[in-house]
Amino acid sequence: MSPLEACRWLEGTRGSIALHESIWVYPIVESVHVLTLCLFLGLTVMIDLRLLGAGLLETPVSKVIRRLGPWMLAGFAVMVVSGALLFYAVPVKTYLNIFFRLKMTFLLMAGLNVAVFHFTTSRTMPRWDLDRKPPLRVRLAGGVSLLLWAAVAVCGRMIAYNWFDKIPTALPR
Amino acid sequence: MKATWLSNRCAALAAAIAVLLWASPGLAHHAFSAEFDANKPVHLEGVVTKVEFINPHAWIHIDVDGTDGKVSSWMIEAGSPNVLLRRGFTKNTVVPGTRVVVDGYQAKDGSLRANGRDIRLPDGRKLFLGSSGTGAPYDEKK
Repeated sequence: MSPLEACRWLEGTRGSIALHESIWVYPIVESVHVLTLCLFLGLTVMIDLRLLGAGLLETPVSKVIRRLGPWMLAGFAVMVVSGALLFYAVPVKTYLNIFFRLKMTFLLMAGLNVAVFHFTTSRTMPRWDLDRKPPLRVRLAGGVSLLLWAAVAVCGRMIAYNWFDKIPTALPR
Repeated sequence: MKATWLSNRCAALAAAIAVLLWASPGLAHHAFSAEFDANKPVHLEGVVTKVEFINPHAWIHIDVDGTDGKVSSWMIEAGSPNVLLRRGFTKNTVVPGTRVVVDGYQAKDGSLRANGRDIRLPDGRKLFLGSSGTGAPYDEKK
């Protein structure tokens, strides 16, 4: 089963039909997705600015992450669930959308950046925890994170448009 | 005392959520002008081949007979199911095989897609197709 066939199958399931034909649930899920994005991205920006040495400089990096991290993760969790529901509602059009594919690529890259920071870079944190200007690798992690998450958010917004859509020829009657 | 403060906070939160929920379906999903061209009005007479009554925008597919005998398949974008239902437009208002007349605006990229303004049904009913607040020409005239 190709990914496109899988999306076609998904689109025909009862839950997907209920969602994409819904009067209220779809706009509510859409709103929740954007509101939790505010929570997640807002706090991510603050953590990234600390890593860059551009903000919250009087507070140790570890403390910024410990205080903001749980709220950021809570926002992330609800954002992922609501985003998955939006995909579940309209799988075929979304899968074929160029901005969705770009968004998933940036999302993967942002995830890798977090993983690298979490599993390697942050191990030496005691050495630069109090630095107003952390080492280059740390600042790089913060800067890359800012750029990638901004790209994810912009691409997410662009999914609403049908530019470069392949739908007219790709969908059977 | 604390209970009152808490219930006030809860009431404020509930009010905020209510406002957001009330406002969100009315928000334009995307702007008309980014995708469609107000200077490319189209008048299409054709047979409905498929109706996608879906969020965030419904799509009506129609086959239009050209003057040269060639059939072109158009996709007409309409408002959300919520907006359409409030105007009395249900999933079964237009079924495949129905002959309709659609007025709208073509996509800027020249593809056979259009933002629908009105649709005329065989029984003479004329329904407004668009979403409100997108900046489409019919919004401004109102």
